Order: sequence, then C-alpha cells, then structure tokens
Amino acid sequence: MLTLFVFRKYILSKRWVKIVTVYLMTVFILLFLNFLLPRLLPGDVIIAMYSGQEMLITDELYNELIILHGLDKPLIEQFYIYITQLAHGDLGYSYISHASTTGLIMEALPWTLLLVFSSFILSSIAGIILGVESSWRRGGRFDRSLLMFMLLIDGIPSLALGIMFLTVFSLYCGWFPTAGALTPYSDATGISYVIDVLWHLILPLGAITLSQIPGDYLLIRNSMLLTIREPFVLTARAKGIKERRIKYLHTARNAILPFFTRIGIRIVYVITGVLFIETIFAYPGLGLLTYEAISNRDLPLMQGIFTISVLLVLVVNIIVDISYKKIDPRIEYA
Amino acid sequence: MNLKKIFITSIIICLCLFTQIISGESTTDNDVENELRIADKTGDWGYPNPYLGYARGPGYMRMHFIFDTLVWKDETTQYIPLLAENWEYLSDEDAYVFHLNKDAKWHDMEPLTAEDVVFTIQYMKEHPYGWVVLDSVDRGEALDEHTVKIHMSGPYAPFMEDIGGTMPILPEHIWKDVENPMDFIDETAFIGSGPYTYVDFSKEHGTYQYRSFDEYYLGKPIIDQLIYVKTGDPQMTLQRNEVDFASIKPDFIEQMKEKGFIVIDGPHYWNKKLMINHNIEPLDNITFRQALAYAINQSEFVDKSIRGHGKPASYGLISSESEWISPNVPDYPYDPDKAMELITSLGYELKDGFFTKNSEPLELQILVSMISTGGEGTPDRDGEIIKNQLEKVGIKVDLTSLDTKIVDTKVINWDFELAISGHGAIGGDPKILYEKTIQVSGTKPSPNCARYNKSVELNELLDDLMHEMDPQKRKEAVFKAQNVYARELPAISLYYPTWYNAYNPDAGIEWFYTIGGVAKGIPIPQNKLSLIGTIGEGKEEITDSTSTPVSEGGEEMTDSTSIIPVENETESSPLILCISVIALLLAFFVIRIKRS
Repeated sequence: MLTLFVFRKYILSKRWVKIVTVYLMTVFILLFLNFLLPRLLPGDVIIAMYSGQEMLITDELYNELIILHGLDKPLIEQFYIYITQLAHGDLGYSYISHASTTGLIMEALPWTLLLVFSSFILSSIAGIILGVESSWRRGGRFDRSLLMFMLLIDGIPSLALGIMFLTVFSLYCGWFPTAGALTPYSDATGISYVIDVLWHLILPLGAITLSQIPGDYLLIRNSMLLTIREPFVLTARAKGIKERRIKYLHTARNAILPFFTRIGIRIVYVITGVLFIETIFAYPGLGLLTYEAISNRDLPLMQGIFTISVLLVLVVNIIVDISYKKIDPRIEYA
Repeated sequence: MNLKKIFITSIIICLCLFTQIISGESTTDNDVENELRIADKTGDWGYPNPYLGYARGPGYMRMHFIFDTLVWKDETTQYIPLLAENWEYLSDEDAYVFHLNKDAKWHDMEPLTAEDVVFTIQYMKEHPYGWVVLDSVDRGEALDEHTVKIHMSGPYAPFMEDIGGTMPILPEHIWKDVENPMDFIDETAFIGSGPYTYVDFSKEHGTYQYRSFDEYYLGKPIIDQLIYVKTGDPQMTLQRNEVDFASIKPDFIEQMKEKGFIVIDGPHYWNKKLMINHNIEPLDNITFRQALAYAINQSEFVDKSIRGHGKPASYGLISSESEWISPNVPDYPYDPDKAMELITSLGYELKDGFFTKNSEPLELQILVSMISTGGEGTPDRDGEIIKNQLEKVGIKVDLTSLDTKIVDTKVINWDFELAISGHGAIGGDPKILYEKTIQVSGTKPSPNCARYNKSVELNELLDDLMHEMDPQKRKEAVFKAQNVYARELPAISLYYPTWYNAYNPDAGIEWFYTIGGVAKGIPIPQNKLSLIGTIGEGKEEITDSTSTPVSEGGEEMTDSTSIIPVENETESSPLILCISVIALLLAFFVIRIKRS
C-alpha cells in the first residue's frame, strides 16, 4: 500500500514518466498485435510462403522449414522468443531474401528517412508560408486562387501525382531519371554522387511534398484566420510594428500550434504515402520493402518493418508530446 | 549586412562552381566501356549463385551468366554443346557420357575438369538444389580429365533438359569445404565457368553487375559489362534510353517499333487454367467436365481479358507451340447447346434458365485471385467472363475473389470447386504433363497440379513419358497422354498470354526466345548465347537491317556499338537550369531585402 502510494505520489506525478508508461504499454500491445496478426492469416504459412517458388516441397523440407521459422513451438513461446530477440535488436531472418531482417530494414530506412524528412521540412515551410500569406490576404484574388489550387491538389492522391510527374518530367521532358535512388554502377563519388542522389530524389520528393502541402496550408490558413482577430494583433499594429513581424512573429507563432499536434498524426500518412511513391519510382526505401514483403508473404520481414514503423511513429509522437509544453507554455497538464 | 552580402555572394559562387562541375561531369562519363543495361521491375532475385538465387525464373537467369551447364538450348535447337562438346547415351549401362570442352576454365583460371562435374552431382545430392532433383542419378564418374560418365538409377527421359541443361556445374576446389551453401556468400561463391564474372549485387537497389570473362572457352563475350537495374516502369526506362532491354506493355508495341526498338513477342509457354475439384459431384464426372469445356469460349478470354494479346490453349496442357504437341488433341469448340445437352444427359432439368437436380440448383463456386504472371500480379478479369459463360448454359456461379495465397491453400486442401490458376513450362520437356497431373510422392502438393490419378490409362502413359528412353516411343506416349488428358480434363487450359519485350538494336545484341524456354522452360528472352561470340554473324545482320535506327529525340544514331552515356546531356542541362534559376531568385531576394 505504501509502495503504491509512493509510486503514485513521486513517480507517476512526473509528467514524462506518465507519458513514457503510456507509450510503453502502447508499444507492448502493438508488438503483440504485430506478432499475432500475421499468424492469423488463413492458410498454411509455409505453403503460402513458398508456393510461388519453383521448388518441390518434400515432407522433410516442410518439417525443416517449420522448425526454421519456429512454428513448431507454442504461440506463447514464439512470442517470448520474438520479444527477447527484439530486445537484442534482432528482428528475425527473412528466408525469402536470405538476409537478416534488421539488415534489410537498415539498408532501406535511410532512403525513406531522406524522403520523409526532406518532404516534411519542405512541405511544412511551403505550407506555413503559403497559409500565412493566403490568410493575410483573405478574400483577395491571391487567396482565392491559391485556395482553389490547394483544394484541387488535395484531391489528387500522391500515387496519381507520382505517375503524372514520372510521365511529364521523366518520359516527355526527359529531365529526371525514371527510377532508383542513384545511377547504378556509375562510379560517381564525392560531389557527383551527392548530385546523383539528389537528382533521383527530386521527382519522388516533389510528388510526396506536393501531396502534403495542401493539408498544412489549409490548417495554417484556418488557424491564422482565427488568430488574426485576436486583440494582440491589433495592439501590435497600434504599436507600429512592421507588418512582416506581426505576420510571422506574432500571429503565425500563435497560429502554428495545431500544426505541431498534427505532426504526430501526419507521420503515419507520410509513411503509408511513401509506399506508393517508392513503388512507382522503384525507390529502395521502407515502402518498397513493405510492398515486396507483403507480396512475397515474407512474414519475418513484414513483422520487422511494422515493428520499426510503429516505433518510428511512437518516437515522433513522444517527441511532440514532450516538447509541446516548450512550444506552447500556456498548456498546463492535468 | 556585410556578413549577409558575403554569405550570399559565396553561395552564388558555390552554385556557379557546382554548375561547372556538373557540366564537366557529363562529358567525362561518356568514355565508358561497351555496356548493356537490362531493366527489371522486381530487381532483387537473390545473389547470382545456384543456392542463393531465388527459386524463380529470373533468379535462375541472374545466375546463368556466371555458371555454365553441360548442354544448352538456343532459338531453334534443343541441346547444343556448352561445357560438354559432345555426349552419348549408353542404353545398355543406362548412363550418359559427356566429353567436356578442354578449354573450359573457372573464373579463377583453374581448369574445369570431369571431377568438377562428379563433385557437383555429389554435392547437389547432399545439399538439395531447388531446380534439379537428382533422384534419378546414381553417381558421376570421371573417365579421364575431360570425360565424365553419369550413371542413372533408372531410365529417366527428361534427363537432358532437367539435369544436363539445368544443373550449373560448381568448382570443386571452392565448394568442397562449403558445409552450408546457404551461408556461403564470400567472393569465391560466385566463381563459375560462364561467359560473365560476378562484380556486384545490391539487394537494396536490386542491381546486378557482371563483367565479361575474357578467357571464356567459346570466345570473349560481345558486351564487356552487363548490368541489371531495378525500375518502376521498365518500358519508360527503355524509352528514355536508360537501358537497352525491357519488358513492354502490349498496347505500346507500335510506338516502341516507331522509336526504333525491336519488339520480340514470346512463344506461348504459359497457360491460364481452370482448376477443377474432381473429387466432388458433379465435377467428378468426365461428361460434366466436358460440358464445362464446351460452355467455355476460349476466344472470348483472349479478346476481352488480354485484349487479343494471346491465343486459345490446347486442352492437352502441352503448349500448342511445343514440338511435343499431339496432332490430334480432342478439341471442344464453343458450343453452349452441346454443353446443355451433356448436362441434361446427367439427369439435370432446366428451370427458369438454370439447371436443377432433385430440386437442388446446379451452382458452382469459382475462386479467383491476382495470378502472378511473369513475376507480376495481374488483376483477374477471367472470373467475370467465365461466370457469364457458365450462366449462359444454366450453371449458377458464385464468384469469390481472394488473395492468391489463400486460393492456393484452398486448392491444396481440396476446399474449392473451381479455381483460376496458371503456370508456365508447358513448352519445354513434356514431363510438365506428369508434374501437373500427378502429385509426386513424398512432396507437398503444388497449387496448380491437378492431382488426378483416377485414370489408369493416363497413369501408365505418364509413367512411359517419364521413363521411355526411345525418343520415338516417348513421343507416342506424350501424344497419347495429351489426348487422354484432354478427354478426361482434370483441369481445363484456357489461354496463353503473349509477353512482349523490346530492345535497343544499337547495343549490338540480338535477343531471342529459347526453344522450350531457358533451362527447365523459363520464358525469358535473355539467353546468354545472345551475348557470346558464337552468334557474331547475327550481330552483323542486326546492324545492317536497322541501318537508320532513330533515337527518342529523333536524331539518327550512327554508332552501332553500344557506348552508352551514363548521364546524357539532357539529364544534366535541367540541373544547370534549375541552379541558375535558384541563383537568380537569390539575387532578386537580396536586392529586395536591401531596398526594404
């Protein structure tokens, strides 16, 4: 009783401890689901995994594969093994790719992060600037036409944008390469390597960024429209502060808060959106790996990717959660 | 402000320097060696070595450039010499004798000997290799340094295709110490005797790089460097001249031809077929299955499902373009009346347009899924077509669309009535008829095997087909087996889709489809013979026949050898343009800040 009291009083009262506990529980539940769901798929897993291959599955081979995948053990034991391996950073072995799942994911992850983070930064900057400028000129020609354009873009899925970009800029104009993250075996090093990578990045990045901008733009614009009416804006104007200062430092600073709340949710959409874009551009990231893992029914790889994605989303959320107070000191936690 | 100025000026200078570097870069890259690039949508097919490559056609193709087999096939001839210069079958001893090419060397310059062949057989018996089942082989014996005798454990008719033309020979001096071939990934794991040596494979990017083996016993390959690249849209990559070979969509054939590419259409070695659960009523009745065949209009599938890019299938499973096709396979021309007549003869009555028996309606469930053809899942339109066709003759149809793997599992567990499936290798050795009709004992069922062993006649014929060593008698057995198969219909073949590939003739290579498919029937037109000197005359012909190939941009390409610029001018110019625009914008921005 006393320990519980001490625990409540001194440990649980700390905000970050609370947050971390909640997140740890979420991680545990998600890991369990992640472990369980692929096993609930109908059909014999081994037959399903290997049926597309030109190999004769003899009874011996079948039993060997069952043992290899650890499917002969009870479910609880399988889960225990899964969690223990995970704690050691081992996400399993993909028998279809003959490679360690961790290795496969670690090779793909940097490419996805490059795509996701650069698109995140670019779309945020563009969304904020356009949203602020649009709301500042609300009702004007600039605002109306931009709003219409953004709604139009918002209606086009990133998949279609990707195909349009590929057809126009790559096939017809011939400005950009059609696929991959770099020119294979071009022996480019140093600066030309960087340029080659950037060159391949532009189209997928453009497609994914463009599909993200309208969301940010609409959010910022609406939030700005509400903030502009606040009395402090009027005060700032009365004090004769320069317009750009009022616009960005006073109004936008306050209007930007919902945007930060959205980051956590948005990262999920970016990761799923990347799946299509990476497939279209054959960009060797996590999205393409996911697509291939699903189509090959590569169970260990699927599990590994989902674990990493879950952790990635939760880490971003936890950062947003913890830093929320820093961004908006007015927020008080209950 | 001064700091700002310095900063901006330095950025502009940097950008200008960049532009210099890039424009210099695009010209220096032009002097690369003679290189050929092939596009592929999937990319990763495993390491190019027998055990590490994925057990799929493209996985074998990646490996076949590095590892040679005893015999090979080309466009028109079955079994031409490769490592073996000539061979004979000793019927009294039930053994094959192969005389190896004395010039054959491994990539590490060690000579290739008969001992290597003996070792490979032994090694593959101990460590089973997915493509080759060596149950029929007893042992290998080296008669001298370049002669090997392979003793069989019993007559096995498909030997030449199944083993002689598929089993890659491994170097004994490297593999003798390898205990687990699946873990063997060091440099020596890729030492073979083929025309190309292994340089690199990137799992991440799905790319392969090979270099020609100058000491190759059939002469130095025509292309110095061979590269496979992964791309989302192979055809677009080819149109952009980023690669020299790619698969293309049927609707773009004319467009590709106009652009100067040579389009090759595949032989029909892959069939879409209707799996039948012949263990349940009424599908266990041959007459009923024949009624289904009469009710099915194969041409409608070809016209609607694949928009004319294919042809109706032969009912005997073996491809109608195979040299093994029986001249008198029973045919079921589309005839709904005949189908209804046959169903009526089984005691069914037609009520309100649908058949019933004992007041139970005649209803069948058809499972459909995205069947993977050529390694790529394609949405199934056949389900709707077959539903309409069967409902026209009074059979109610419940069309159920499921994930491919679930359909496979249901078929394996006999938990289905009708299911749409498909497989290849119907143009190669006729043993496919055996493999897709009877379940090989001691193996797990394959989802596209009919597992039909009710017909004693068919079983005997299939047995002959596998073990009859006299070519003439074997051919007769194959013909008869097809006829019985088509009469009893354990499964109904629907159609053969046509696949198209296109290549750039300027690369100096004439690609072709291999008769019966590469090795065990892989329908990919990337036979290594295209790349080696033996078809030098062919190369001459291409450059003559396409005297004025036109590039994408419309300029005439005069160079017939393949010197492919890695980064061509069109690619670097927009970068310069972009950077100039950014520089201009920056300058504009600075001026604005200054003014305000």
